[in-house]
Order: sequence, then C-alpha cells, then structure tokens
Amino acid sequence: MIVASKRERFGYYLFLLPAFIIFGTFIFGPMIYSFYLSFCKYSLVTATSAKWIGLDNYLNLFKNMQFLAAVKNTAIFTVILVPLTLFGGLMVAIGINSKLIKYKRFYKICYYIPYVSSMVAVSYVFKILFSGRPDGVMNALLQSIGLEPIGWLASADWDLIVVILLSFWKQVGYVMIIYLGGLLAIPDDVYEAVSLDPISGTTMLRKITLPLLKPTTMFLLVTEVINSFQIFTPVHVMTSGGPGMATLTLVTLLYEKGFKNSEMGQASAIAVIIFVVLLILSIIQNKVDSKE
Amino acid sequence: MNYKTSRIIKRILLNIPLAIGAIIMLAPLVWMLSTAISPNSFLPRQTLMPDWQNLTLQNFVDAWNFPSATTEGLTMGRFFLNTVIMTVCIVIGGLLFDSMAGYVIARKEFPGRTFFGFLALSTLMVPFYVTAIPQYLIVKDLGWMNTFQALIVPSLASGMGIHLFRSHFRSVPIELEECAKLDGASDFRIFFSVMIPISKPIIGTMTTLKAMWSWNQFLWPLIVINDKTMYTIQQGLTFFQGLAVTQYGYLCAGMTLAILPLLVVFLCMQNFFIGGLTAGAVKG
Repeated sequence: MIVASKRERFGYYLFLLPAFIIFGTFIFGPMIYSFYLSFCKYSLVTATSAKWIGLDNYLNLFKNMQFLAAVKNTAIFTVILVPLTLFGGLMVAIGINSKLIKYKRFYKICYYIPYVSSMVAVSYVFKILFSGRPDGVMNALLQSIGLEPIGWLASADWDLIVVILLSFWKQVGYVMIIYLGGLLAIPDDVYEAVSLDPISGTTMLRKITLPLLKPTTMFLLVTEVINSFQIFTPVHVMTSGGPGMATLTLVTLLYEKGFKNSEMGQASAIAVIIFVVLLILSIIQNKVDSKE
Repeated sequence: MNYKTSRIIKRILLNIPLAIGAIIMLAPLVWMLSTAISPNSFLPRQTLMPDWQNLTLQNFVDAWNFPSATTEGLTMGRFFLNTVIMTVCIVIGGLLFDSMAGYVIARKEFPGRTFFGFLALSTLMVPFYVTAIPQYLIVKDLGWMNTFQALIVPSLASGMGIHLFRSHFRSVPIELEECAKLDGASDFRIFFSVMIPISKPIIGTMTTLKAMWSWNQFLWPLIVINDKTMYTIQQGLTFFQGLAVTQYGYLCAGMTLAILPLLVVFLCMQNFFIGGLTAGAVKG
C-alpha cells in the first residue's frame, strides 16, 4: 500500500461520500426510523406527528384477521414456490449442461427471458390468460381438450395457484443460471473418475452432483425465500389481494395500510416483522456456511 | 443397438422435455406479441399465432399515443420517455458512485475502511419494502414528490455494485497505480484515466443489472409519483386496466413497449448479464 498523506485521505472520504450519503438517507436512516414508527400511531390524514403508543401496533396486528391471512398466504406461497423453483431450475440446468445438448445458448435465452421481462407486464398477460370467464384463453384451451373451465383468478381456491405459476415461470430462469454456474464449477475429472464405475445417472446425481452443488443450493434457498416473502407486484396487478383475502400477502398489506389508509405505524410494524424474519434466515444461512 | 444410435436416442429424449419447457416459457410472451401485431380486438386472442393476413403496427402507434384523448401530453410515449430518462440517470450515476466507493475500499488504507466495506455489504440485507415508508416520508419532506429526483436519487448507489467493483479493483496490479503516481497523477486522475478504462467487463455487468432494476421498478414509482405526466411505463400500464372495455391490441402493444427495450439491451449484453447474476451468487 502507498502511504497516504492527510490531504489524500480526505480525498478518499470524498470518493465514499456520494454513495454513503445515499445509503444513510435512504437505507440506514429509514431503517431506524421504521423501528421507531412501528411503536407509534401516525396517520398522515389526521395527525401531523407520530405519537408513541408502545407495543400496540404489534399487539393489534396479531389480532388482525387481515394480517393473519397475509402471514398464512405468504407462508403457503413461499413453501410451495421455493422448492418448486429450485427443483425446476436444477433440472433445466442439468439438461442444458449435458454434453448431448447442442443449442445451449438458445435454450438459456428461452428460459430466462421471463426473468428479464417486466413483472407488471407479464402479470397483465397472465391476468388475461387466466381470466376466470368461461371464454378466457386458458379456459378455452381446457375445454378444447375436454376439461371443465376453472375459476382461476376469480376463485379463492385457484388464484394463489395462478400467482405461484406466474412466479415460478418468472423465477425459474434465474435459478437455472445460478445452478449452471455451480455445475460449470464442478471439475470434469470428478465425472471422469466416476465414469469408470458403472453407476446410473440418478445415482450420480444423488451421490455426486447434488452434494457438490450444496453451497449453490443454500444460496438460492435463502435468496428465493427472501424474494417470495416480498411478493407484491403480481398480487397488486392481478387480484389486489382478493377474492376476499385469498391472495393478501405481507407486502400487499403493508402497501394497503401504509399508502392507501396512511396508517404509517401499523405498516411499519409489518415492515419490521418482515425484516426480522429475513434477518434470522440470513443468520441461519451464515451459520450453516461457516460450519462447512 | 450400437453406441451411435443410443446416443441419438438419448439426445432426442433430453431435447424433448427441454424444448417443451422452452415453448411454455415463451408462450405467454409470444401470445402478447401476436396480439400486439394483429388488428385491435375487444376479445383476447385464442391462439398463439398472429393474424398473418392482417399484420399491423397500428396498435403500437395507438398505444404510444394512448390515453391522450383525455389529457394533453398524457401518453404511453411520455411514460416511455420518463422511464428512459430515469434508467439512463440511474445507470450512469450509479456506476460512478459505486465504482468510486468500491475503488477506495479496495485500494486505499484509511481509518474506517473495513467498516465502510461492511456497511456497503449490509445494505444487501435490507429489503426495499422494509424502508419504503420512511423513504416516502423523507421524499415528501424534501418536496420531491412527483419529480425525477425521487425516482432516481435513492437508486444511485447499490451495495451489490460497490461489492462487485471492490472485488474487481482488488485484482488490479498495484504497479499500474504506482507508475501513474510517479508521473504525478492525482487520485482523481488515476481513478478516471487508469482504473475506469480497465473496468469494462464489470461496467458492462453493472449496466445490465442496474438497467433491469430501474426499468422494472414498480412499487417505488407507485408511491412517489401520482402526477400522471410523471408516470413510468410500468405505472402507465395500469391505465389500460381502468378502462371499461379492455382493448387487447393496445394493451399488448403497451406491454411489449414495457418489455422490449430491456430485452434488446440484455440480448446485446447477454454475457455481461449472466456474469452479473452469477457474480452475485459467489461469496466474496
């Protein structure tokens, strides 16, 4: 390292300044403010300043039907979507990675075009395709192969499934790319050494490929859980949380409370709860990582 | 069966599911494009293929000028340009701020260096939604509601960007800097004329990532922009929903406008983009 004079050091801080002013104003400051607000009653409509009310926001949330529904829906969504995406992405990655596949680049593009596409636009596309009307596009398709039409987005049983389908379709390409990266990092001689023994493809996958991909899987597991926890756009565009509370999620509720009803305190309490859950997940991941 | 035929059969067996999957992945977007280039209709298209006899770009023209009938200057075209301005500013400004911070954290010795590195990384742990409410209150207090500042400034620095630039600058040989220093170049000079020119790959990667984040952002514009002339294209799409009757040709043309520019950027810079996603997955 070059020894720096006082004046040069001052210059270094100038280099840091723009980025950290932004972090301070829009990330660290707001985080502390969020914690504070979560203990306050603060309605932008009726009050000019926040009033301290202690734990009331949290206590009220746990008695609130909407919040409980949002927790349940977000949990169901995450528990179904994450394993599905990880499995799908892994299968596609293994397929594309095979030496028998020629047009690798073409396949890759097909699978991750949805990931790059605007979530708002594709949500509208799915909203039209999965319309609950009997003459909707998917319903017409079902009828043409002799099946009954389904209520899709208009039915409380199916709309969460449509949101899951859309999210799977959108996210699987990302998972594929990351797994492909992981697969490429496995040296060829591992497979060459194994290929001397006559073992089947599935044994190879279970005994060799999967264990070697474990760090990648852990990374994806945590990122995908974090992403699923924050599901907002498709719900906002396709169902606005309905019918009833069937697709209400944590962030949709936060948006409703904070920006529709302007109950900043309640909304901040939801934000803090989301943050704490995600923080615990990240810490668990770090623990698992450092053990290995 | 000899080796060659079994290989061909295996190849086909592997290609079939991959191809079916690829078709499913593309189908919704193909449907959208087909609807957009077929004559406008009040019913959704029931087929993936466009109306080959009557191919038209009229929907794009109409979508571009779309809700103008109600208010002057309030068109998808306007929303599109707003989004372009926002994205270009975020990409250029963000690259500058991230690379400057990443550079000193990687190469210079000063009190608080590790701490700043840690702070930058820790921003990755804070999801946007957690800070959305105070961010909104701050923007309101600054008087920035309905302005480009509100859309651009909060996204000008990213922990991921600083992290990637830092790992990149770490790998640059120290001699490069020392030579420039002996020639009497200042730190600013060294940064802009030595370090930046050798950072093209990482700049490409961060450009694609930042363009994607900013072009597709939705909740933040929804919160800070309610003056319709300042809408981004993602918000603009909600316009079509407010109509009594959905005109599918317009809607699909509008959605194509919201997806296509980014798709073009990403197809041109494909390797940078994949590199960026994978780089994010590697612990540094």
